[in-house]
Formats: sequence, structure tokens, C-alpha cells
Amino acid sequence: MLFFAHAYDVQISTRVLLCRIVIVMVAGIFSTHLLRVFIKWRGWLLQPIEKVIPRLMISMVLMSMIYSLLVLGAIEFFSLSIETAKKVSFWTRFLGSTVDNGLFILPWTLIYYFYHFIEKSRKQQMDTLQLETLIKELELKTIKAHINPHFIFNSLNSIRALVDENPERARKAITELSNILRSSMQADKSETVTLEKELFIVKDYLALENMRFEDRLKIEYEIDEDTLDQPVPPMMLQTLVENAIKHGISKQIHGGIVRVISEFKGHFHEMAVQNTGYLNGARNTEGFGLSSTTDRLNLLYGNKAKFEIKQATATLVEARVLIPFESEIR
Amino acid sequence: MRAIIIDDERLARAELKKLLQEFPEVEVVDEAANAEEGIAKIESQRPDLIFLDIQMPGKTGFDMLSELERSPQVIFTTAYDEFALKAFEVNALDYLLKPVEPKRLADAIQKLQLGEGKEPRLEAEHTNNSILHENDQVFVKDGERCWFVKLSEIRLFESVGNYAKVFFGPNKPLILKSLNALEERLDEKFFFRANRKHIVNLRMIEKIEPYFNGGLLLELKGGEKIEVSRRQTVKFKEMMSL
Repeated sequence: MLFFAHAYDVQISTRVLLCRIVIVMVAGIFSTHLLRVFIKWRGWLLQPIEKVIPRLMISMVLMSMIYSLLVLGAIEFFSLSIETAKKVSFWTRFLGSTVDNGLFILPWTLIYYFYHFIEKSRKQQMDTLQLETLIKELELKTIKAHINPHFIFNSLNSIRALVDENPERARKAITELSNILRSSMQADKSETVTLEKELFIVKDYLALENMRFEDRLKIEYEIDEDTLDQPVPPMMLQTLVENAIKHGISKQIHGGIVRVISEFKGHFHEMAVQNTGYLNGARNTEGFGLSSTTDRLNLLYGNKAKFEIKQATATLVEARVLIPFESEIR
Repeated sequence: MRAIIIDDERLARAELKKLLQEFPEVEVVDEAANAEEGIAKIESQRPDLIFLDIQMPGKTGFDMLSELERSPQVIFTTAYDEFALKAFEVNALDYLLKPVEPKRLADAIQKLQLGEGKEPRLEAEHTNNSILHENDQVFVKDGERCWFVKLSEIRLFESVGNYAKVFFGPNKPLILKSLNALEERLDEKFFFRANRKHIVNLRMIEKIEPYFNGGLLLELKGGEKIEVSRRQTVKFKEMMSL
């Protein structure tokens, strides 16, 4: 305003000028505040941007008009208009003022809107991130805690039979079952354990299954001793072995073999479980264990780890996990 | 009561046998470790009762039962099997959870004995292996649901391709048996081949009406209307006049 006053070199008294500045400011604050209240009331900040922009445009035009009316009205009312301006009709001045002020209001409103828009989407991103980590944690917990109840009760039943038949074996079986239950409960406390620890559980588990299946189950281990220190996700090998029994051995009338393998393959630590049996399509849908294995590897190693299950030979099914070396993850 | 235990785990069989020592009325005459063995032993031993595990290698306990011509009394045993438990509860079949609680076992056996008292089974009838007695029960499985059905409760068999639809109560599940095979096994005193597609239970007939070409129309207790072919009508009238 001051700039205009001087640029056109029009004689305006300081009193008039100050009054006009006050009017412009009050009207400006009033009308933009009105728009803000309106935007908040209609919840435009929460709506998708492509819906809001046209509405924002229309409301900005309306607001410019209200603003111009206010300013011009106040100027007329207090008779503060500048001499030269009186020659122009009110409506022309109104139109001019609307366009004029609209140019100031437009960036102002857009800045307001985009500031909130960015703020909001940042907050949303934070929320989804937090939610994702929460889900991840929960998923890991439920996956790890999963032990087949069928196995637990069958084992208890076998143990009860052994109490008379072979008390020594029964005592040992109770220890084995306790170890498995304990480790499945503790599993959620750490992201990884050493293979050695995991193997203790697997061995206890297979010993118990051996008690149930007797001569129908043969167990073999091919473990490279150097891999014993490797960190592995807890209960993962265990899940694969459990699957091998559930879908493999227990479906075979004459039983079969379960072979647990751990070795280094290139840049990977490979763990494999082979079992007598036949891979069929149905297996993919029924295996909670299989989908959870894939999910867990994804959660822990991204796409660096691999998991596959295939018919290795005519009678052997092999489930294989490849985990990148510890040093390469960090 | 002569019983057979069918379970793939030796220890589980041993444990149940030990529990059954407390019940002199149940005599364990044999054991089987899988469904195939079970079928063979049921046919040769003709037990009154079987203890049957659900999850077994090869075939499940349910599969085994649906292959039997006639099923003895069954007490299911399972460690934990949500699917099976649901099936049991829906149809009030008797089952025991392993490890078996002695009290539950006693209840199950007592229930069986009460049932036996009400409908004495005629041993004489059983000697004729090929014909099913009307008190014989068959196991019927249709998807998730399964039933033990006494032949006397069945109104109608309807041929559907290689299958037969079995009508009893409000249910009509399919079984994998041809109508001709069924006809051979059913007692003709009670079951009558009305036409190419239907075998009806004579005791379930509510109304008999004359029909076209000298045939008959039978209305069954469930409301089904079955046409008797002209040729069979002659036979039907002969039987009824006796």
C-alpha cells in the first residue's frame, strides 16, 4: 500500500493511509480466518487432494470477493477513498480489487493448505510405519510360538504308556518334551539363536517322534560343525522338521527317513530337511509352517534369504533354507 | 463285547489296552496299525466295537469307515484334531481324547452297553455276511459332515451316476456305491427296487397310489414321490399280498 502510494505519487494524507492499512489488515485476517474455519469444518484436510483443489479454487474466488466487499465497503463507509478512485464505478473497483487481492490470497491459501497436507501425510507415514513394526513383532511372536498341539498330546499319551513299559525312557521323554515347550515359549525373546541351540530342540523333538513312530522313523544328521555357531531364526528348522513328520512320515504306512542337513554353500548357510514322501499341490495350501517360514525369512533378511521345497528324488522331499552370512547382513 | 484297537502308534495301542483291562466286559481281540489292516481285521474278526484313531498313514479313520460294508460300534480316539472334533460334536459321535481319561472311557463303554441292551443284535443274522441287517449301521461321510446311519432309518437310495444319494432324516449325502451293488447287499424284505434309479425302504412308505400304465406312485415319509415301474409293480403287489 505504501509502495503504491509512493509509486503513483498521489497525495494521500497519513491518517487516510493508516486507516486504510488497518482496514486491509482486519479484513484480510477476518476473511482468511473465515476460510480456515470453513476448511476445517468441511474436513478438507482429510480428503484426497484432487477433490480438494477445485473446491479450494472456488472458495478462494468467493473469499476474494468477500474480502474486496469488506475493504471497499469499509472505505466507502469511512469515506476514505482517494480522489482519483471516485471516478471509477463501484463494481469496476470491486472486480479489480477481487482479482488484485485474489493474487495475494491464492499463494497464501495454497501455502496454508500444502503445509497441512505435507504435515498430515508425514504423520500418516509415521503411523503406518509404527503399525507395520507392531504387526511384524506380533507376527514373529505367533509364528515362533506355534507348536502342533497334536504332537504334544500324542507325546504325552506315549509317555503314559512308557511309564510302565520303560520308565527310564519315559523320564527322558518328559525332559525332552519340557525342553521343547520351554524353548517354544522363550523363542519370542530373541530374533535369532545359534544353530547349536536350535539343534538341541530338533534332536529332542525327533527323539520324541521316534518314541511315537518307533521303527517307522529313521533319523540322520549331516551337520557341518562349523555351522553350529551360525545365527538362525529360532524354531525355523524345528518347523521344517515338524512338517517333514506331519506331511511325510506320518502319511507313509511303512514310515521313512528324516535327514537334517546344515552346511555352507557359497555365500550362504544352507539348512535342509529331507523326508520320505511325495510333494503334492495340496501341501502348499495346508502348510502353515511353509508360509510362515517364507514370511519370517522375508521379515528378517528381506529378499536376501531363500526358501524352497521340492521333490529331490523319487521318494524324498527336500525343504531348503539359504541364509546369507551374518557378516553380510551388517 | 469284542473289540479291535486301530491306531498307528504301538504305544497308543498299548496304553488303551492297559486302560481296557479295567473293563472285563470289553475284550480286545486284535489290533491294527493302519486302515487297510483295520478293514481286513474287522471283516475277519467281526468285532462289536472298534477304537479308531483318525489320523493314520494312508487312509484316515473316516475313510476307513466309509469303506466298510457295515460298521461295528465305533469309539474314536484322537490326540487333537480340530476338524475331527467338529465332526464329532455336530453328529454326537463318541470320541476319546488321548491321553484318555479313565472316567471318560468308562462313560463311553457304559453308553454303548445301554444302547446294546435296547436293541439286541441278532448274532444269527450276522452269520449271513453278505446281507445287511436292518439294524446294521453304515458310516456316511459327506464333505465335513459324517453320520452313523441305521439301515432302518434310511428312506431311499437314489442313483446319481456312480454314486448313490442316501435319504435319511433331513440329510441326503452321497456315497460312492452303485445302486446295483447296494441292491445285492440289502435285505429284500425291507428294501425294494422301485425302478432303475430308486431303492425304497418298504417301512417308510406312507401312501400308495395307482399311476399311469398300471404303475404305482409311492409317497415316502419324507414326502418324496417315487414311481414304481410297471414290471416292478407286479413284483411289489406280489410281495405285499403275501
